[in-house]
Amino acid sequence: MVSTFNGLEMAKRALSAQQAAMYTTSHNISNANTEGYTRQRVNFEAINGLTSSREPGGIIDTLGNGVEPGSVERIREQFLDVQYRKENGKTKYYEQKAEAATQMEAILNEPSEEGLSHIFDQFWNSLQDLSVNPEDSGARSVVAQRAEAVADTFHYVSSSLESVREDLRNEMNVKQTEFNSLVDQVNQLNRQIGEIEPHGHVANDLYDERDRLLDQLSSIADISVKYEKSSGMPSPVAMGKATVTLNSGTNKVTLVDGNSYEVNHLHVELNDNNNVKAFHYYNPEEVEPDDAIIEANATIFSGDYQSTGQLKGLMEMQGYETGEVDGAGNPVEEGVYIDMLNDLDVMVNAFMTKFNETHSEGYDINGDEGIEDFFIIDPNAERPSLGLSVNEAILDNKDLIAASSQANASGDGLNAVNLAASYTDHLDELGNKTSVKSYFEGMIGELGVIAQEAYRMEANAGTLRQQVSDNRDSVSRVSLDEEMINLIKFQHAYNAAARSMTAVDETLDRIINNMGLVGR
Amino acid sequence: MRVTQSMLSNNMLRNLSKSYTSMNKYMDQLTTGKKINRPSDDPVIAMKGMRYRTEVGNVEQFQRNITEMHTWMDTSDDTLDETTQILNRLRDLTVQASNGTYEQNQRAAIAKEVDQLQQQLVEAANTKVNNKYIFNGTQTTGIDVAGTLEKPVTLDADGNPVVNLDPADYRAVELEVTAGTRLQANVNPTNVYSQELFDDVKALSDALKSEIPDEDFDEFISVVDKHIDNTVSERADLGARMNRVELIESRLEGQRITARDMMSQNEDAEIEEVIMNLTSQEAIHRAALSAGSRVIQPTLLDFLR
Repeated sequence: MVSTFNGLEMAKRALSAQQAAMYTTSHNISNANTEGYTRQRVNFEAINGLTSSREPGGIIDTLGNGVEPGSVERIREQFLDVQYRKENGKTKYYEQKAEAATQMEAILNEPSEEGLSHIFDQFWNSLQDLSVNPEDSGARSVVAQRAEAVADTFHYVSSSLESVREDLRNEMNVKQTEFNSLVDQVNQLNRQIGEIEPHGHVANDLYDERDRLLDQLSSIADISVKYEKSSGMPSPVAMGKATVTLNSGTNKVTLVDGNSYEVNHLHVELNDNNNVKAFHYYNPEEVEPDDAIIEANATIFSGDYQSTGQLKGLMEMQGYETGEVDGAGNPVEEGVYIDMLNDLDVMVNAFMTKFNETHSEGYDINGDEGIEDFFIIDPNAERPSLGLSVNEAILDNKDLIAASSQANASGDGLNAVNLAASYTDHLDELGNKTSVKSYFEGMIGELGVIAQEAYRMEANAGTLRQQVSDNRDSVSRVSLDEEMINLIKFQHAYNAAARSMTAVDETLDRIINNMGLVGR
Repeated sequence: MRVTQSMLSNNMLRNLSKSYTSMNKYMDQLTTGKKINRPSDDPVIAMKGMRYRTEVGNVEQFQRNITEMHTWMDTSDDTLDETTQILNRLRDLTVQASNGTYEQNQRAAIAKEVDQLQQQLVEAANTKVNNKYIFNGTQTTGIDVAGTLEKPVTLDADGNPVVNLDPADYRAVELEVTAGTRLQANVNPTNVYSQELFDDVKALSDALKSEIPDEDFDEFISVVDKHIDNTVSERADLGARMNRVELIESRLEGQRITARDMMSQNEDAEIEEVIMNLTSQEAIHRAALSAGSRVIQPTLLDFLR
């Protein structure tokens, strides 16, 4: 037996359910352009008929009892999130490398009429000019000036590379702060979610917020996320609290623990050469950042760090310890910038040694033996390429340039030819059959390949990320047309429910007001 | 696949930006005229570009060296020519003196001319080009005699020429004309302007002033002939080297053209191709813009009452 007013109740439930759906649609429309928003859907649930313990099987009739708005659920595919974060990490990693490579290409500026190789060519030309006019003081001055230009260009390249390296280091610092802040924010959201979910609520917009933060975190390092069920009576569609783990090959570090609400912050340790030595993870509640190196919960050495993301990109461009040691027991350092700086130093040293040696073998215009150091390197300079300069004595007195191969032979310019050859002759310090010139060409070629690779991979990873992102958007983003159709659908259902309420009303009106009036 | 408005507009934005990127590339190529502007555009072309640039620079430098070579050689040649003429005149005079028709005062007049010719020989030996003595080996600024730089040939207290260059100290002046190839630029003055030459001319002059019999001058004729021979053979040697320099010069010119050509082929953009690319890219860009404007604008709202 059904209650008299069951129809009214049912219609009322229908009205409020359709209304809830309309509000959700409205929420979706409002957030159509909100970054990271996931469209929501009301899970309508039909209400079963009445049950009675007096009847066998419990159900006394098959009449339904209308609808109830069950949970409001996000339409989201977790698997796509995992894919997206993987690709995002890669894209950001290559983006970071490509950006740093662009800067390096701009600094070295090859091939051009301004780069180091052109300055070297000019120096070579000036020495050749000197060789045909060794007694000409003008030719001597030009040689001295060109030599200074070579030293200046080395300074410029070296200091520019060093300053970009410093920028990269600062950026690492910023990323470290961002990383720690993201970890804290995710933890904060975990707490909020953990307070809401036990009561059966579904914190959809907090999930969105958390997913957005996790996306950001994935651009800094490679992470994986696992969800812990909340205690109490969580809704079946509740996501739970996120446990975030950093992946670096087989090394795993828990960044956010969903159960204990404990987090690990990151501290990047640099060695004396400002190269990355290790990544330390410490509990900020127990350990001060300054003590992070000693009291870290986990440490990944730079040579083992494989967590693809901006941090790794910065590390590989800037410079890091590979974990190996060289013959002298010093750690081996690698990195595109540090390698380029070291290569420049090798080149400066080899060129200077050869040039000075040749110079000391010649004779100056007065028939005296050439002085031993045409070029000098300031021993206090940070690196040879920064400390290279032309001997003051030469700049003060150009007659000291040893252009002749014999004493008292002012017209003999053979040593100037030999000096010029220090740029093109094979030098053992630079490797097998390698001259300063070809060594530098090699450096530029290598840079070209590294940069090209970074650009290509950036584009490739970007395309993949785009695809995954499209897939994710396809599932989760708001389509205005669809929402409009839904709105119309719900509106019609609302109108129909109102009509059915009117029908019940009319029925009741018949019973209450118009019955029992026979013959009246 | 479900496609939403924001996906459409994001994709359109991304594709437009891609289109701008490639237009920018073609613009760069057009404005710089170069296929590549940074090593990563093509590392091999970049490395080759650096090499060809150096190559072109080197060849041009060697051409400049050769200009200097010409200065040396041409002046040497002219001076040797003049020297030969002087020596020929000396020979004529000697022949005249030897044929026994001249009186003592006429011989004295010849002696005066011989002395003048001697002076001219000294001047020839002291020829300077670009402030360099060209008949003095590598000691082009002069010879250090007791602390002062002296000309190659000076006159002693009696007005007799003294050659200051010790033949043992003579070194050839060599210039590099192609990578690794050095050519001698000067002539060996010890074969031409030797002490012997000046002494012989002096002896001739002395003989003319003395009263030795005419037939004794026959000996002088052969002496002068020997010096003419020396000069001519040195000049022949110089001529042979000049030929070689000319050969090298024309080869260098060929090399310069080839190197420039290679450099251009290596890195210069093909303008026609770039313009074609730019034009088609422009068309694509326009199409993308117009397609975008059609796809982005309408929504269901436009059609709902």
